[in-house]
Formats: sequence, structure tokens, C-alpha cells
Amino acid sequence: MYEHPVQLTNEAGLERSRLTVFFRLLLAIPHFVWFSFWTIGVFFVAIFNWFATLFRGRSPVFCHNFLTAYVRYTTHISAYVSLTANPFPDFVGRPGSYPVDLQLPDAPDMQNRWKTGFRLILGLPAFILDAAFVGGSRSGYSNSGGVLWTNAFLAWWACLFTGRMPEGLRDLNLYALRYSAQTHAYALLVTDRYPNADPFVAPTPGSAPYHPVRLTTADDDMTRSRLTVFFRLLLVIPHFVWLILWSIPAYLCAIVGWFAALFTGHLPDWAHRFLSRFVRYYTHLNAFFLIAANPFPGFTGAPGTYPIDLEIDARALQNRWKTGFRIILMIPALAVASTVGGVAFLGAFLGWFAALFTGRMPRNLRQSQVFSLRYSGQFYAYLLLLTDRYPFASPAPPSAASSAP
Amino acid sequence: MTAAARRATPLLGLALLAAWIWGITQLLHTSVPSGLHLPHLRASDYFTPAQLHRARNYERFVRIDYVLSLVALLLALIGYALRGNRFTRESAAGRVGTGLLLGMLGLGIVWLAQLPFGVAELWWERRHGISHQGYVSWILDSFFGLGGTFLAICFVIAIVMGFAGLLGNRWWIPGVPALVGVGVLLAFISPFLIPSVHPLHNARLLADARGLEQVEKLPSVPVKVQEVHTFTTAPNAESVGLGPTRRVILWDTLLGFPRREVRVVIAHELGHLKHEHIWKGLGWQAVFLLPIAFLIALATRRRGGLYVPEAVPLALLVFVVLQLASSPLQNAVSSRMEAEADWTALGATRDPAAATALFKRLSTTSLADPSPPGWWQGLTGDHPSIMRRIEMSRAWEVGGR
Repeated sequence: MYEHPVQLTNEAGLERSRLTVFFRLLLAIPHFVWFSFWTIGVFFVAIFNWFATLFRGRSPVFCHNFLTAYVRYTTHISAYVSLTANPFPDFVGRPGSYPVDLQLPDAPDMQNRWKTGFRLILGLPAFILDAAFVGGSRSGYSNSGGVLWTNAFLAWWACLFTGRMPEGLRDLNLYALRYSAQTHAYALLVTDRYPNADPFVAPTPGSAPYHPVRLTTADDDMTRSRLTVFFRLLLVIPHFVWLILWSIPAYLCAIVGWFAALFTGHLPDWAHRFLSRFVRYYTHLNAFFLIAANPFPGFTGAPGTYPIDLEIDARALQNRWKTGFRIILMIPALAVASTVGGVAFLGAFLGWFAALFTGRMPRNLRQSQVFSLRYSGQFYAYLLLLTDRYPFASPAPPSAASSAP
Repeated sequence: MTAAARRATPLLGLALLAAWIWGITQLLHTSVPSGLHLPHLRASDYFTPAQLHRARNYERFVRIDYVLSLVALLLALIGYALRGNRFTRESAAGRVGTGLLLGMLGLGIVWLAQLPFGVAELWWERRHGISHQGYVSWILDSFFGLGGTFLAICFVIAIVMGFAGLLGNRWWIPGVPALVGVGVLLAFISPFLIPSVHPLHNARLLADARGLEQVEKLPSVPVKVQEVHTFTTAPNAESVGLGPTRRVILWDTLLGFPRREVRVVIAHELGHLKHEHIWKGLGWQAVFLLPIAFLIALATRRRGGLYVPEAVPLALLVFVVLQLASSPLQNAVSSRMEAEADWTALGATRDPAAATALFKRLSTTSLADPSPPGWWQGLTGDHPSIMRRIEMSRAWEVGGR
């Protein structure tokens, strides 16, 4: 049950006007100017609101309305600039005025005074994660512009050439916008509910189409061994050494497989098996490293041996054009994998502290990592020619209808 | 087991025993004259009462800290040997992979148990101006250094459990040569693993080194300097590498010493290379490892042997206990090789006064007790005590030349 008081709604389709896409950043300049002034006002109102909420336990109504409008307006212009929606937004953040909108509490709720008093400290993990979603992330995996702006850059080209926003990128942007809106609402005392990074709790517009590479997860009660969490960074060292050693024949195999697939349309069966193991092993190791799973993984990438696993379909005929230009075609997916990997890495960093103190991994962080693992699994499968199906960036779970063709 | 194999087992055992004894006799050879009489010298003749008091006061704390740390180590390992099995639940890595996890976690627990004592020692070193390193930096260095140890234990356990999978409880027969082989490889590449190293630029010292190489009949050996002054004032040097990777490493804290004394240090390190002490050290490693591995195999038999990962925590405990029990012997062997390097240095430099001055300076800068108690020397002394080294210089001066 999705109960967060801040919800993102989407009515936006995928059609985009090439002209407004081309000039999108320039068109948004009046909004940027207005947004800057509004932000200055919000700074003072937020301070006043903090004192008022601390004493009364509830935000004054005018503060609440002012701040909710600001949070909504931020979402509107972010959606516009990131190409998540097409129409030019209004300047006041009216509810229902934009296809990508927020449902926010109509009236101020009672808030816990302790949570209010320490809001900036409590919010720090969410702010860090929000930076990875929206921009300015400098994580161990990447030095990126965040999920939203990296996607916007990629989508700009796609929209310009096709007139359509890629569905996966759109859905991923909605996920990033939702988290960012919840973080803003939390920081500005619109709600005292903590942002939820779980990509699977909110309904996404569609369901993921069938993909030959799928992530499976066993039931996880989120319990983690504190000792293995504490030493996690060191425990993966032998695995990293093994991964480096394995990646040498794996990439050589992929090069041989590339020629074979180019001429025959198929990856040789032995190469498919070898590379499937490699990609699966990489997923197991990453899941352990990110604390998305608890047990120490094996070194062989055998199917069904780890709670977070990859199902990879048997080899199939591949489009030779896609095979020939694979190294170029994979670049956008690499950018997306890098940003969602950054979110997962920050989730691991934050989750490390949580798991060390509570013995449990926060479910929402783990779920965001599961999504990242699914994408990176599909990305590596694409890169290493296990499939010619492009990685699907949407957090949408595969629906019952989207079964194997 | 077939009848032939049963007959072959005692023969194989005898052959191993004979090879072991023969190895010891070969390794015991030293160029220090067997009849060398070391004069009995008093520390008070070489050090002021204040120097002796300061060194002994410093070492007293170090000894207490070491003993407590040892107790903590053993308690942690005993606890881990009793309860460590439950960590098999944390693994999806199969037999060998789970063994690796248990080995690494064992070392992790040991690190945690010894951390307070390490911090206490650092506090003591900082108080006496021997270390400049900050606490956080030391803990982080120590933590990340543990990564290398984890990697090493993974190699060892993978080899041992791999052979246990093939040979059951006889894993130690091929296991020991394999582990020594890994040791040879590590010794070969070790010069490239030492951080912050650059060539020696001091022309006079380089000329000294070239001259000493000729005297000691050695081919040219690179002399390098390691930058350590940012975290310690203690002086040190070492000879590392095998064959083409051989080199002498001087800590930069040593370069402030008078030239004659640095010359003795270089001659000492070249002495190690001349007498192939790194190869001998590997030989001794094999000598000690053989019975230790055999006893580990024996001790873990009731837990299913090292074929099963559940035996790893017990194997760690047994290994550490046997290492501790054999440390007086191992230190005696090491001291013997150090004495040989000292003797060679005296012969090469023909400067016992510089050697004596060096040993005195080593003691005062490191706050080492010149004549520590026997138990301490036996447990931790991998070099002869400072007074023994001064006595050897004196013996060379009087009659050894």
C-alpha cells in the first residue's frame, strides 16, 4: 500500500514538440528567473515556518500553502526542463495545472516536534540521495549530473529525432521527480513523512515490456549480519580480484562473439553460456557489495545460487545492425547505468550505517538498488551481446501481460 | 586406502622427515665463526642512566600492551573457533567460498579485538615522539591494510581447501610447497608493493653502496629510499626481492644519521642479500609450516577437516597458537641471520666503532631496551638485542678481523 502523503501523478503522454524541445532550456529561462525569486522568499518563509511548527506542532496555513505551491512549481518546471512533460508550465504551481503534478496535503497536519527540530540533520541522507537523483552527485560510481539531468540530456536527442520521449526514460524521470518532491516536502515541513526511495511502491504509467534479462529476488526480511556489513568493503576484495581476472577472458570472448554474431546472427552457444555466468556473477557481487543482499556470493555465477539473481533467456537471433554498432549504441545506456548505479552506491553508503546500527537494511534503499541491479544486468547483457534488446530504464515491474513472446 | 598406499604412507612420512631434518641442517649454516666468544658488556657503559630509564620505561608499557593484545587475540580466536560456524549462514558461496568468508571474518574479529591495544600503542608512541600519525589516519590505514591480509588469507584458504577437496586430510603434503611457492612469488614482487619509494640521490652514499657491493662480491643492487617521516621518526632498513627484483630499502628517517653509520646499515642489508637470507627465510618458512600444517590437519579432523568450511575458525586458532608457540624458535632463526648480516657488515666496513655508534643510536631513537628480558626477546626479538650487537662489534674489533 502506497501511503506517502506526497504523490506524483502523471497524465503526460510521450509525444513531444521538436521545436520546444530544441529550445527547451532557453524557453525555461523566465521560469528560472521566477524560481530564483521564489526560492529567496521560500528561504525566509521556511525559517519562520520551522519556528512556528516547532512551537505549535503544525505549520501555519499560509506557510503551508506557500510552500506546497513552491514544491509543486519546482516539480512542474523540473518536469518541463527534463522533458518529462511537454507543455509550458504556469508560474504559480496551481494543482492540476500540469500533466506531471503532485498530490500534497491540503491542510497542515500535526507534526512530531522532535522530527521538526532536527529536520535538517534527519533529512541529510535524503538530501544526499536527492542529489544523486536530480544532480550534483559525485558518488563512487560516477561523477554525474544525476539521474534526471542525464536522462534529460539523452532524451533531448531522442525527442529531437523521433518527436517522442522514450518511455523508459520518462518513467525513470517520474521516479526521480517523485523522490525529489518528497524530499523538498520533507525539508520544508510540508510533511514529516520521510521520502521513500522504493521505485516499486508508486504506480508507473505502464508495465515493463518483456525483456530476455530479468532480475529475480528471493524474499528478504532485510536482516543483515552486522559483522559482514562492517567488513563489507574488505570482504569483496577477493571477489574484485576474481572479477578483474574473469573480465579479461569475458571481454575477449565478447570480441570473438561480436564477429560470430555479425556473420551468423547468433552468439555462439559456449560464449552465451560463459558470458551469462559472468554477468550473473557481476550481479551477485554487486548485490552483496551494495548490501542489497546478505550472503557472501559464490565465485561462479551459477544460476539460482543467490537471493538476487539474473534470469537470462537462451540465445536468440540478433539484429546484425545492432550488433555491428553495439559499442556506440550502448553509450546512452552506459550513462543511465552510471547514474542509477550512483543512486545505488549512495544507498549502500547510507544503508551501511543503518544496517550496522539496526541490523537491517532499509527496504526502500534496497529496492532502489534492486532496480539499479536490474538495469545494470540488462546493460551488461546488451554490451556483451547476450541480447540485442535495449535495457529498459523504467522502474515499472513486468506485468502479467508482458510475458515472453 | 589400498594396501600399497598403506605401505607407502610411513615411507612417505619418513622421507618427509628426512628432508625436513636435512633442510634444517642446511639452513643452519652461518658465516659467523662457531667459536666466536662474545664479551659480556654492560649497558650502563654505553648508555646514560637517563637513556636506559627512558627506554625501559617506554618498553614496559609496550610489553604490557602486547601481552594484553595477545590475550585479546587468543580470546577472540577461541570465541570464534567455538561460535564462528554460525557465519556459514551468511554465505551462498559454496564450500571454498564459505571458507574464504570465515577466514576473512576471523581476521576481521581479530582486528577488532586488537584495535584498542593498537590505538594504545600509538598513543604511547606519539607521547614519546616516535610516531606522528593521527589516530583516525592510523585506524583507516590499519583497516584498509586489512584488505591485503584478507586477500592473502583467501589465497591460503583457497589452496588449502582446494587440496583438501582432492586429498582430504593429507592436504598439507602438497599444500605446504604450494604455500611456499606463493611466498616465493610474494617475495619476488614485494619490492613493487612498497609505497612511497624513490631512488637514493645522495651521491656519497651511493658510492659507499657500490664500494660495499664490490667488497661483498655482489652484483649491483639498487638502493631505494622509502618516505616514512610523515608518520614515524623510527629508523629502519630492509633488503627485499629475489633475483632481478632484489634491492635495499632505506627509510628516510635513517638518512639523517652520520654517513659512517648509514654505511654500516647498507653493508648489513647487502649482507642479507649476499647470504641469500630471503631464500633462507622462505626455506625456514617451509620448515616451520610443515609441522604446523600437519598439526592443523590433525586438530581439525574432528570437525571434518579443512574440506569443510566449518573447520576454518578452529584452524585459525590452531595456527595462531602454533605460531605463538614456535615464535621463540622462529625469532632465534631470524636473529641468527641478522647476526650473520651484522658480521658481514663488520667485515665489509671494517668500522666497528661506527657499528657500535649505530646500534646505540638505533636504541635511543627507537627507545629500544638495549638488554630486554629473555622472555620478551624470545617472544618478539627477531633481531639480536642491541647489547648483543654491540658485543659482536667488540668481538670483531678484538679478534674477529
